[in-house]
Amino acid sequence: MEITLFILYPLALYRTRLILAALALHAALIAASAVKYGRIPLIGLHDTLGFLAFSIGAAYLIFGWKRLRDWYSYITIPLILLLLAGSLAAPQMHGPLPPVLKTLWFELHVILSFVAYALFALGAVFGVLFLMHGRKEDEADQYRNLLLGYVLFSIAMIFGGIWAYYAWGTYWLWTPKELWTTIVWFWYGLYLHARLVRGWSGRSVVWLGIIGFVIVMFTYAGVGLLMKSSHEF
Amino acid sequence: MKTFFLSLKTTVWTLLALVCLFFIGSSMMPTHREIFGPMNDRLLFHWIGDMASEQVWLTWWFFGALAALVLLTINTIVCSLQAIKGRWSRKDFLLRIAPQVVHMGFLFMLLAHLLGAGWGYKLSGMLAEGMMATGLPENRALYLRELRAEADASGFPRGWSAEVFLYENNQPVKIGSLGPNRPLFYKGMGIYLKSFELQPRPAALLLVAKDPGAIWALAGGILFILGSVTLLVLKWKKA
Repeated sequence: MEITLFILYPLALYRTRLILAALALHAALIAASAVKYGRIPLIGLHDTLGFLAFSIGAAYLIFGWKRLRDWYSYITIPLILLLLAGSLAAPQMHGPLPPVLKTLWFELHVILSFVAYALFALGAVFGVLFLMHGRKEDEADQYRNLLLGYVLFSIAMIFGGIWAYYAWGTYWLWTPKELWTTIVWFWYGLYLHARLVRGWSGRSVVWLGIIGFVIVMFTYAGVGLLMKSSHEF
Repeated sequence: MKTFFLSLKTTVWTLLALVCLFFIGSSMMPTHREIFGPMNDRLLFHWIGDMASEQVWLTWWFFGALAALVLLTINTIVCSLQAIKGRWSRKDFLLRIAPQVVHMGFLFMLLAHLLGAGWGYKLSGMLAEGMMATGLPENRALYLRELRAEADASGFPRGWSAEVFLYENNQPVKIGSLGPNRPLFYKGMGIYLKSFELQPRPAALLLVAKDPGAIWALAGGILFILGSVTLLVLKWKKA
């Protein structure tokens, strides 16, 4: 069934709203996986890449509802397909959640993190559109995506801290993953403050939003693959 | 000098410096576990005194980050004080106060880290079933009465729990069951079941920790969420 998504998502290249069919099927697959394993399907690369693709798709629809066929779709849809391909290539984790992950704090932490990542992705897409066409509304859309993403990411981190305090007796650990998570937080904080500096708006700040997504992807995938951390389950 | 601390550019460059320093730190950590591993096992001030200050060629990024955080703290306080000065009108009250609430939340989080780094305690060790751990801080002792573990048909651990008795001044003061995400709290002290073994005899790896910063971290988190969500709503409309 997941293969069908590779046919449905590209329909959005013709018209943005056609992504609804892909999102409906994708949501059903995520729900089915949740029912099958009795847990939120957000463990391991297979689950999380798929959920990230779905979240980007949902954000793409909300922010592009009125858009006709343009580079907004030409950039976002291949990104979604790339993430889906990564999800299919990664092994799926079967079975229930490890006991330490059975808490609402963990579920909220993970869901909000990936929704924030999706918004950061769209922020980067709008940044590229601004660099291509120089339209002010693309810059404003980047700002809105990144502001919302930053708030959700902050809440996700706070929820993660609460969970860690209950699980391990500390809300912060000195590990590469935590440092990179803080790097993401600082980076988008930097972006939001840089926008307020007189004379710094425009291309240079838009670039910060684009680079931010590269940092996000490294924090998500790169740190886990290259460095040992507390986020290995 | 005041202009420097009041400048948004100071904020931006300091955040960039922190990003660079944390990047360096994250790449050093995996290759020098003997230095950075103990950061999480003991109070940070003790780690700084015993290890970090003697291995400065490996820990310089950490001290650099501390200096940057001090600068960011001063910058945040000065900017917030400046922002709340002057006349207030009902019309832009929320727009003016929300960023300051976010800043206060951030400062509370930093304060939490400072308090947690220097005060409180962290002790961990294996305790066998039926044994008592004496000599805990604040004249307390811990007795592990029973350890239970459940597995599903495939042998996957479904859950585990440890029943403990906490004593203070030789008097039992609290009885509780520890488990995953289920510590036992008493007067700001938390007792955690970190892992366990059933062979050769049932024993639990327990952590006894007191972090006076935790409550500040929670308060900071709540303020940060309140301020940033308010700001989001206001800025969203504006954008």
